Amino acid sequence: MKKWHWIAMAVLTVISLIVEFTYLADYKSHWWNYVPAFYIIWGFVSCAVIIYVSKWLGKLFIFREEDYYDH
Amino acid sequence: MIIDLLTMPAVILILGAFILSVIPKQVRSATFIVFPLLALVSIWSVPNGFSLTVPLGEYELILVQLDALSRVFATIFAMVAVIGGIYAYHIDDLTQQTSALIYAGGALGVAMAGDYFTFYVFWELMAVSSAYLIWARRTKETDAVGMRYLLVHIFGGSILLSGIIWHVTESGSLAITHFPDEYTVASVLMLIGISINAAIPPLHAWLADAYPKATITGAVFMSAFTTKSAVYVLIRMYSGWELLAYAGVVMALYGVVYAVLANDIRQILAYHIVSQVGYMVAGIGIGTEMAINGTTAHAFSHILYKSLLFMGAGAVLYATGKSKLTELGGFASKMKVVVFLYMIGALSISGFPLFNGFISKSMVVSAAGYAHFETIQLLLILASVGTFLHTGLKLPYFTWFGESKSEITVKPVPVNMIVAMGIGAFFCTLFGVYPDLLYTYLPYGVDWEPYTVYHLVEMTQILIFTFIGFWLFRKKLEGDNKIALDTDWFYRKPADYVRFLFIDVTAILFNIAEKLVNKATAAVNNAFKNPVQWIHPIHDEDTDTSSYIPDIGSVVGFVIFTVTLFVLSWIVMW
Repeated sequence: MKKWHWIAMAVLTVISLIVEFTYLADYKSHWWNYVPAFYIIWGFVSCAVIIYVSKWLGKLFIFREEDYYDH
Repeated sequence: MIIDLLTMPAVILILGAFILSVIPKQVRSATFIVFPLLALVSIWSVPNGFSLTVPLGEYELILVQLDALSRVFATIFAMVAVIGGIYAYHIDDLTQQTSALIYAGGALGVAMAGDYFTFYVFWELMAVSSAYLIWARRTKETDAVGMRYLLVHIFGGSILLSGIIWHVTESGSLAITHFPDEYTVASVLMLIGISINAAIPPLHAWLADAYPKATITGAVFMSAFTTKSAVYVLIRMYSGWELLAYAGVVMALYGVVYAVLANDIRQILAYHIVSQVGYMVAGIGIGTEMAINGTTAHAFSHILYKSLLFMGAGAVLYATGKSKLTELGGFASKMKVVVFLYMIGALSISGFPLFNGFISKSMVVSAAGYAHFETIQLLLILASVGTFLHTGLKLPYFTWFGESKSEITVKPVPVNMIVAMGIGAFFCTLFGVYPDLLYTYLPYGVDWEPYTVYHLVEMTQILIFTFIGFWLFRKKLEGDNKIALDTDWFYRKPADYVRFLFIDVTAILFNIAEKLVNKATAAVNNAFKNPVQWIHPIHDEDTDTSSYIPDIGSVVGFVIFTVTLFVLSWIVMW
C-alpha cells in the first residue's frame, strides 16, 4: 500500500461524511440513518465480525485435516 | 412445426452438440460458439408472449413460453455460453465441448419451458451433462466427486418429479404455475427439489464440493447455469414465499463464513455463489415487483461477473497448476492482464459504483428495506462486506500479491482465455455504466435509480472501511491448510455404512434368498423328476426292484389309469 492510496481513501471518506451531513435528506427511511457515519461503523464492524466469528467457528468444529475423507 | 422445433434455442444447442461430434476437430471450437449465437438470434427474433405447444396424449406440452422474465434469463444463458465457448477455444476434448453445449441447452430449455414435463426433462439433462464437466478431468478424485454431484442431483430431481406428479394429479394441468404461500405436499416437494439446485443450505454442499474440482473451462459453465436456472424457477413458482426471504439471508451469510475458511480459490468463489444466490433467494422471498426486478437483474449481473471470476481463477490454475491460497502468492507481475480483468469482476461482485454488481445488488437490498425487512437489509449489507473482503481482497491478495509460498512457474495463458475474460469484463462495466440497458428488459417497470447520492455515500463508506478492516486483520485471513466440513459430511462420512446398508446388506439378503430359491427348486425338481412315481402303487425307493424297473410301475400306473377311466365313463353313461 502506497501513501497516496491512504490519502485517497481519507479524502473520499471525508467527502462522503460532508455529503452525508449536509446533503442527505431521507433520514426517515431507516432507523440507522440517525446514527452518524453509520455505514463506516457497519462496514468496519462487519469486516471484523466476519473474520473473527468465521475463524472461531472454523477452529470450533469445522476445520479438519485435508485427508479427512480419505480414511 | 418442425422448423419451430428446430429453432427452439435449447434444441439449437443440443443439436449443436451432435453436430460437433461429427465435424473435424480443427473447426470444432469455432463451431461451438456459433450455436449459442444462433440461440441468441432465435430468442430475440420472437416477441414476448410467443409460445410453442405440442400435444402429448391428453396433455398439451408448452415447449417454449417467452415473456420478459424468461427472455432475460435465456439471453444471459446464451451469452455466457458464447463467452465460455471462447474461453474454452483452446481445448480439444469432445466430451467437454458436447456436454457443455447440452448443459447450456438444458438451462435455456428450463428458462423457456411452459410446462412441468418439458421443464423436468431439461432440468435432468443439465444434471447429467454437467457431471461430465467434472469427470472430464479423469482423475480418481474427480470420478468420485462427479458421482457424488450426479447422485445429489438425481436425488433432487426425484423429489422434484414426485412433487410434479403430485401437483399434476391434483390440478390436472401440466402448465407451470405460481404457488400461493401455502405448504402443500406438492409445493413443498418441488421446493426441496429446486432448493437443491439453488444451493440453499443445508442442501448446498454439492456446489462447494464439485465446482473446485471441475475442469478449468467446465467450472465457468457450471458457475452460470445450475443455480441461476433454479433461481428462475423459484421466481416463477415461489415468489413471495416469506420463508425464502430468511433462507436467502442465511445463504448470503453462510457463504461468507465458509469463504473465510476455504483454501482453494475456486472453492472461495463457489461459496460466494451460495452467498450471491442468497440475495436472489431473499429477493424472491420478499416478492415485491422491485425485489423480483432486483433478483432478475442480479442473476444477470451475477452470471457475468461470476463467470469472469471463475475464468480468472481458472487462468491461475492453468498457468501455475495450483489453486490453494497456501501455495500461491507473489506473481502478479507475471499475469498482469489476468489480474486486471479479474479485479473488474471482483469490483463488480463487491458492488463498486460503475460496475454491474452495484446496479443490481443495491436494488435487492433496497427492496428489502422498502418492504420493511430492515434486519434482512442490514444482514445483506453485512454479507456484501464479506463479498468484498474475500473476492475483492483476500483472494487476489493471497493469490497474486503477498509473499510467495511455494515454487511457482507461470505458464503463459492462451489468448482466447484472455479474450473471453475481456468480453466478460466489458459487459460488467457496460451494464454498470448504462444500467438502463438491462433495466428496460426487466419483468416489471423500473422506478429505481442506483446512482443516488445516498447509495454512493453508503458504498464509499462501506467499501473503504471494509478495506481498512482487511488491512488490519489480513494476517488472520491467510489460508489454512485444512478443509472445512460442510453438510456433505452427512453423506460422505457415513458412505461406508451407507454402502454396507444398501449394497452389502442387499447382497447378503439376495444370497439368502438365492439359496432358499435354489433349495426349493431342487426339492421341486426332485419331486417332479418322475411324476409317474406318484401313482406307482408299489413304489419304494429302498427296494432294488422298483428302482431297477421303474417301467413296470409306469405300466401298472397306466393300467390303473385306463381302468379308472373306463369305470368312470361307465358310471357316467349308466
